[in-house]
Amino acid sequence: MRGKFLAAMIVIALGVGARGFFSPADARVSLEKCTLCHGKPEFRKILVDGKIRDLLATGETLKGSVHEKKTCVDCHFDVSEIPHRQRPKRVVCTHCHYKGNAEGAPQSDAYLEYFGSVHGTAIARGNTKAPLCQDCHGSHAIRKAKDPASAVARRGVAETCGRCHIEIYAQYKTSIHGVALSKQITEAPSCTGCHGEHKIYGHKDPKSTVFATHVAEQCSTCHASVAIMSKFGIDSEQVTTYQNSFHGVASKFGSRTVANCASCHGIHDIRPPEDPLSMVNPKNVPATCGKCHPGANPNFAVGKMHVDSHKKESGVIYYTALFFKYLTIGTMLALIAHIFLDMYGRSKRLRGER
Amino acid sequence: MSEESRNPVYVERMSVLFRMQHMLLIISLLVLAVTGFALMYHENRLAQALISLEGGVLYRGIIHRVAAVFLMAQLVYHAFYMLFSREGKRELNEVWLSRRDFDDFLQAMRYNLRMGNEYPRFGKYGYKEKFQYWGATTGVFLISVTGVILWAETFSMRFLPKFVLDLTLIIHGYQGLLIFVVLLFWHLYIVHLHPSVFPMNMAWLTGKVDAEWLREEHPLEYEKLKGEGIL
Repeated sequence: MRGKFLAAMIVIALGVGARGFFSPADARVSLEKCTLCHGKPEFRKILVDGKIRDLLATGETLKGSVHEKKTCVDCHFDVSEIPHRQRPKRVVCTHCHYKGNAEGAPQSDAYLEYFGSVHGTAIARGNTKAPLCQDCHGSHAIRKAKDPASAVARRGVAETCGRCHIEIYAQYKTSIHGVALSKQITEAPSCTGCHGEHKIYGHKDPKSTVFATHVAEQCSTCHASVAIMSKFGIDSEQVTTYQNSFHGVASKFGSRTVANCASCHGIHDIRPPEDPLSMVNPKNVPATCGKCHPGANPNFAVGKMHVDSHKKESGVIYYTALFFKYLTIGTMLALIAHIFLDMYGRSKRLRGER
Repeated sequence: MSEESRNPVYVERMSVLFRMQHMLLIISLLVLAVTGFALMYHENRLAQALISLEGGVLYRGIIHRVAAVFLMAQLVYHAFYMLFSREGKRELNEVWLSRRDFDDFLQAMRYNLRMGNEYPRFGKYGYKEKFQYWGATTGVFLISVTGVILWAETFSMRFLPKFVLDLTLIIHGYQGLLIFVVLLFWHLYIVHLHPSVFPMNMAWLTGKVDAEWLREEHPLEYEKLKGEGIL
């Protein structure tokens, strides 16, 4: 009797202590209670459209994820009774993920960029198909982006994006970048490599990294790098030669109609020129140029496209430029020499007359 | 002879029509140079400011081509005028290149280098003026050819390989630079810095020059006018 009383007192004291000193969530639903239902593999719901929604969640569900030490109600905090009468609301990640949080989440403001992005604004406008955090990062199996098993890891993110952007994913998968990435070439860009991570904008939004006038710059982050390009035997001067061409200068000064890298090489379906499906394969060049230059014929494919007149490899063009350079300098010098000689002669003439 | 003691007599050197052609040439060449070099040196900050001033790349191109059409029209008009009008024929005769001009040049050089005693005596146009005239005319003609090839880029690309167009672009730019350099230095010299005209030969505005200047710099023309009784 006495022992029982003492035990009860200790429990109450602990309860009061916990209430007073730790967290008010002592009425939290425990994992054990959730798994009463959610721990059964056959626990699923048939949705209106006939799809089956698997509702299985056990103690193993969070294993290996960044939230390994969390429990169900840490995120599903609107569940306060078992069984819950309503479907729990979608988890709001920003509950913990903000700069200055005390929950142990990374101190990062990166998520803020999401709200201005094409996805965030679509959500704000009420588009229920637009993705929230968990649609890309995963709901239970969230891993760090650097973890190769993560849904947003460089190798896996295309598949994640492809769940909604199906056709683009199919194009990308067979493109030179997609193929390279599947061959474990980690330099190859995935979706986020060009579009950014949280701050993804529509390609017609001037803020976008792939807006018409930003494309060259975006491609140049890798394609102007000798360190990256030399590994694959690709010329790293293609961006420079583009920037010095009529197309490049016009693009730099804000023309949105002029050709950028993607206009000729493709967007998600970029392939090497040897590939018969490549837009810059000699067979396809007339059609590619013809998009802007009606009447383009096979002659458009003759010769090198990216030419730098300052390089010896350009042959006649280089030597012509060199010839004209010295011709101009020579002419200038000859003119100046003549001017001085003639002035001198004139002064002599005037002296003679006096 | 001091300035006050003589009563200067002026004779016409540039008729109204030629002064107008000259003026139009100044305008179109300057517009072409400003718009053209802005593109040629687009990496330069000043060039970038100029392109913005010209309303961006698109309008820069339009301005350049409008000025080019204007210049080519002037060239055609000038050719017809020089070949078929009475005044033009006379001027063409004066400015026509001959062996004599080369000899004059050599003689002037010999004189300037103290290897000869006689400075050449020029007619209305000496070798300096003729070099300027023919240099600019040939330059304008040639740059028009490359310019048209580049303008009709889609048409050109159907027949010429890309390589030729790259070459044309290089040549076009350097031709422009060469014309600019020749006109700038030569004008600076013959009509500005030359002590006999400094700071400027006013003939391009008034059309007239001092007969005394003519006697000193273009004695053959002076004697011819004297012979014709104009002076």
